[in-house]
Amino acid sequence: MSWALRRKLVGWACMAPYLAFFLVFIVVPIIVSAWLALVQLDLANVGASRFVGLQNFQDAFADQFFWMAAGATLQYVVLFVPSVIVVGMVLGLGMHAMRRGREAVRALVYLPSMLNVAAAGILWQWFFNNEFGLFNSLLKRAGLPAVPWLTEAALAMPSICLMSLWWTVGGTAVLVLAGLQQIPRMYFEAAALDGATSTGVFRLITLPLLKPVLLFIFVTTTIASFQMFGQAMILTGGGPAFATRGMVQFMYETAFNGFRFGYGASISWLLFAGILAFSLIQARVLRSQMEA
Amino acid sequence: MKRSLISAAMIAAGLLFAAPLLLMAIASFKSEAEVLKPTQLLPTEWKLDNYQAVLENSIEAPVLTWFVNSVFVSSATTLLVIAVSSLAAFSFSRLRPSGSGPVLNLVVGAMMVPGQLFLIPVYVLLSRFALIDTPWALILPAAAGGFGVFMLTQFMRSMPVAIEEAALIDGCSLMQMFWRVTLPLSSPAVATLAIFTFIGSWNDYITPMVYMESVRNYTLPVGIALFQSSYSTQYGLTIATSLLSTLPLLILFLIFQKQIIESMTASGLKD
Repeated sequence: MSWALRRKLVGWACMAPYLAFFLVFIVVPIIVSAWLALVQLDLANVGASRFVGLQNFQDAFADQFFWMAAGATLQYVVLFVPSVIVVGMVLGLGMHAMRRGREAVRALVYLPSMLNVAAAGILWQWFFNNEFGLFNSLLKRAGLPAVPWLTEAALAMPSICLMSLWWTVGGTAVLVLAGLQQIPRMYFEAAALDGATSTGVFRLITLPLLKPVLLFIFVTTTIASFQMFGQAMILTGGGPAFATRGMVQFMYETAFNGFRFGYGASISWLLFAGILAFSLIQARVLRSQMEA
Repeated sequence: MKRSLISAAMIAAGLLFAAPLLLMAIASFKSEAEVLKPTQLLPTEWKLDNYQAVLENSIEAPVLTWFVNSVFVSSATTLLVIAVSSLAAFSFSRLRPSGSGPVLNLVVGAMMVPGQLFLIPVYVLLSRFALIDTPWALILPAAAGGFGVFMLTQFMRSMPVAIEEAALIDGCSLMQMFWRVTLPLSSPAVATLAIFTFIGSWNDYITPMVYMESVRNYTLPVGIALFQSSYSTQYGLTIATSLLSTLPLLILFLIFQKQIIESMTASGLKD
């Protein structure tokens, strides 16, 4: 056997195990999901499944619960993404300015990210509890009225954002810090020699050079936020009155509690459509990395 | 002057972030009545009752069984992902059989599809294969993720080929070259992937929630979520269980803090 042929055979053999998984658990599911979205499938009665075309999508647009879920998801994204970027920037810049103890602070800030969502949620549910939670106990001590953190519709989503912020902002801060550390020192030194103000340095040097990192953070956080699930599941179960039930929970409950797989699949395609613009930016970033 | 002020503020912020975990640890040693008085910082008497209850491994809440399940699923997932991804990356970066370029593009392109879309169809497939409610339902789909292949391919491409060529000239076969040269040289990237995969699998919540049916087959995050809904009035107990579910990762973090944070940033900052 020639060397080139052997190399080719070994090449495909090495790829084969991964490609088998890729085919079965990525390619086929995408096709199955697309097919499901176009049929009316009831798991209790598979024989009665029939092709319904775009009916599932029309149903979604006419379903007030779909719009409530879309609204809750959007509310979360709009509240959470800017907060995580701003707080992450502040923490990252703060750490960057430290002369000593930077690594200790970095570890402390990142520590909550190690928790699974159930543990983090249980902890914060204890903090948020109306009667004997930490927050209301502290408020009471200060002579302030109790806050219905999770039990009032208007407050529940901001409370979930607060918990998520504590849980994940460490990762953002660490990325910002690493981005800042990649900026060559001489830029700052040159700016200082020229007598630049600190706002000027931030606006004209730090921010532009941090742009790739910020774009990465923005895109990945947005994609993840559109799929928020565990936090609401643990803290509120999606309530009160569905105020915190996002798209993924709605899809999950439609498919696995209501056994409407076709409708559930169409919801996940609609969510994908919502995320698509951000996914495309991500794909471009990945591709440019691959060519580099 | 200004810098020391910032430092002080940052240390305070760091402690603020870690404080909830400390409160959690302390509360797990409190009696139930004292858990409900969160402004009392320390317990009057340190109790092990909550941990004793956890370790009973009762049928309704078999915490130890969940722990074993989590260890098995996360370890098996990590091993499988590394085996499958490193072989594929070796091919994509070194052997490059004709036609592999478009395949790699497809793999990376599929990373765009958000995870939630796979939940329903993979459930349908797994039930076809009779894998629902088995650990394989959590392990096998994880091996299809493109991240590991992408990351390792990137890393191997950035390595100089000279050493590997020398190995080939010295009479190594291609597979020996992979096993003895390429893989060991890629160990930093493999370690990063291992850490990521293990943490991700350990903390995974939605997948076991959907693919596992019997309580004894749960992994920790789903288990403690169930625990929370059935023992919602016993905060001390749920908090002790939550802490236990995080403990292995917290220990891992204390030991490999630097590596974990640096691998997290490395994957985000490749430019």
